[in-house]
Amino acid sequence: MPKIIIDGVEIQCRDKIPVLQAALEAGLNVPHYCYHPGLSIVASCRLCLMEMKMPDPKTKEMVWSPKLVPSCQTLVKEGMEVRFNSPAVIANRDKVMEYYLVNHPLDCPVCDQAGECYLQDYSFQFGKPYARTVDPKVKNPKKDIGSRTLLYQDRCVLCSRCVRFAQEVAGSGELCIVNRGDRAEIDVFPGMPLENKLQGNVVDLCPVGALLDKDFLFRQRVWFLNGTDSICRACSTGCAIRVDQNRNILYRLKPRYNPGVNEWWICDEGRFGWKFVHDERRITTPVVRRGAATETPPWDDLPVIIRQHLTAVVQKHGPASVAVQLSPEMACEEAWLLATFIRSIAPEASLALGDVQIVGQEEKFPFGATDGDVKFIIRPEKNPNRRGVEAVINGLGGNVISREDLAARAGKGEFKALWIAGGYPQPGWAGKPLIDAAGKVELLIVQDLFPGPLTEAARIVLPFCAWVEREGTFMNHAGKLQPFDRAIDPPEGAVRDGQYLYALAGHTGLYTGRRVREMMAKTMPEFGQLHVPPPVPEHQH
Amino acid sequence: MIRDSDIVFVDEPRLTAADRLYLPQVVMGLKTTFRHLFKKKVTLQYPEEKRPMRVENYRGVHRLNKDEKGRVACVACFMCETACPAHCIHIEGGEAPWPDREKYPIKFDIDELRCIYCGMCEEACPVDAIELTPEFSIVGLSREEMVFDKEKLLEMFDRTRELKPRKNPVITGYEYNTGGPIPPSDDQTEGLKAPGQPQR
Ligand code: SF4
Ligand code: SF4
Ligand code: SF4
Ligand code: FES
Repeated sequence: MPKIIIDGVEIQCRDKIPVLQAALEAGLNVPHYCYHPGLSIVASCRLCLMEMKMPDPKTKEMVWSPKLVPSCQTLVKEGMEVRFNSPAVIANRDKVMEYYLVNHPLDCPVCDQAGECYLQDYSFQFGKPYARTVDPKVKNPKKDIGSRTLLYQDRCVLCSRCVRFAQEVAGSGELCIVNRGDRAEIDVFPGMPLENKLQGNVVDLCPVGALLDKDFLFRQRVWFLNGTDSICRACSTGCAIRVDQNRNILYRLKPRYNPGVNEWWICDEGRFGWKFVHDERRITTPVVRRGAATETPPWDDLPVIIRQHLTAVVQKHGPASVAVQLSPEMACEEAWLLATFIRSIAPEASLALGDVQIVGQEEKFPFGATDGDVKFIIRPEKNPNRRGVEAVINGLGGNVISREDLAARAGKGEFKALWIAGGYPQPGWAGKPLIDAAGKVELLIVQDLFPGPLTEAARIVLPFCAWVEREGTFMNHAGKLQPFDRAIDPPEGAVRDGQYLYALAGHTGLYTGRRVREMMAKTMPEFGQLHVPPPVPEHQH
Repeated sequence: MIRDSDIVFVDEPRLTAADRLYLPQVVMGLKTTFRHLFKKKVTLQYPEEKRPMRVENYRGVHRLNKDEKGRVACVACFMCETACPAHCIHIEGGEAPWPDREKYPIKFDIDELRCIYCGMCEEACPVDAIELTPEFSIVGLSREEMVFDKEKLLEMFDRTRELKPRKNPVITGYEYNTGGPIPPSDDQTEGLKAPGQPQR
């Protein structure tokens, strides 16, 4: 851990990092655009320049160097002394800020980035409230550069983050800077739009409003959004995300820094794959069928009703006549609550892991990277919690069967009661063997997001809430147990799965993931250890 | 906290014999009454008579200004919604159908019952698109009627644009046809019906 002196204060920092990173980690607000810890360093924005002490060539004495040096390109060295508060550094910052605003339009009222824009912030903190430029600003119309991305060139500060991302992380390199000098602009090659599966990240990377997300365009001003830490459900990587909502409406998902899992990025499938949350067709109330009649009992009565139904089957056909299919869309806590509840009524009930959706191949980024250089992986397993549910099933032991067995044996009439948890965002997820088998059992209880053949056949239907409405943990492909929080309320009439399963299992009060994890950790120690990413320094972006 | 030293005790003044007689005080009071009887009157017989109003400054019902082509001037920046202390403005922005504009409001609702007529929205607007008009007596028969949508607010503009013309930018001629300017209503005895609603 080298010690360096910044503005006369000695700080300890990590080894082999740029001075800029050390300063940010020490809490200093050093303006910067082009530096990003996940990309190569180009030192082109010239905002982060600092003064550094160097040996005088004649006297070998340490003196302040006559030239400013970029702090993002200078690695820390034991005992080095730098400063950001000298008149020369401040003068440079002033000039650079003024230069950035020469052609920047006064677009903030209609720009989606306003509120989280680093040109706004730095102008406010380091800029001047007036402009000296008298010439008209260069106008550059917006360009459609990709299926999900728009480019407003006149807002660009040419930090080249987007270009480097497309080259170094996505590996497809669609973006480039064309022309030079004050005509330089970001562009794509003719006929080759920005079409990689990570393109949403260039919008996050862009420190200003030059690259904007078409999906979020004009939908909401960012200061109305409230963020909740969550985990992406679109594949088994388990990327850390932030869910931005306002008044219970989801507007967008943003990545969170999560070293060792997704670093700074997420893929477009996860970023835009939340639309099912606000689908009108979702199941929102519990339904109990008695013959042809259906009724919607109040949530408070459900535990009694479900218990009665299950107990009746167990008394008639014995404790092994019940089977449960747990879903890899469930949180570990929910799976555990459901499994222990069923086992408390039918001790020999069989547990099975439900359908795991495998789509396509593993996709490694950058394209064609060999193992050491891989920066991002989209996994073919499109459910977030296969490992977590497996861990719960194996931890509980007893009768564990595969889902094929479950369908086959239920089809042969070996199981009289079946509880199927769905929760897949695709309404028609269930396979034919399962649907056939489900028609044969005496008591079918189905939890699902959307109505389908299974919920049609079921005696009791329970709503399965979307993951942004629930709380718990997902265990990713590498066994990291990551907590996600509830961001919005479930639709009117529905109750969070965790909450009703908690009541079903005989507990009273509010369900929280932590409470259930404490119970689980008594027999399954792997659920005692959470993976929570470290916080990002306040002024880093 | 109030300390004892902060408390001042005041005794009731002792009444003189004249005070206790009561009649002199009645005469004193009547003197004030008669003095005012012969002074210039300050009250008005509202609604038959009306007070002159400072049209420029009056904070009545909102309007959404139009440009000379009749398009809504608002750019859907949400500044008014952000500034509004009563949270009564609800906007939905969208891509403008015009090539010279970026964004415009698809929906623009103001709950006139919830509004406290503070004028913050007017001050926040970067393009002077939302303004408060001198219209103050509007009538609605339901709560929904008093949530003014974009059409009603634009109609308010046509109704008041002669009385209170746009200042920034000054517009000399309007190219759109409203079927003749709607005269500002000066008959306030009946009250204005909320625009866009059938008059009963
Ligand atoms: S578009 Fe954004 S990220 Fe790309 S160079 Fe311009 S400012 Fe930087
Ligand atoms: S006048 Fe005040 S309360 Fe009414 S809409 Fe405007 S800001 Fe809101
Ligand atoms: S502040 Fe003005 S331009 Fe912005 S949304 Fe409100 S009325 Fe429209
Ligand atoms: S020059 Fe250092 S951050 Fe851009």
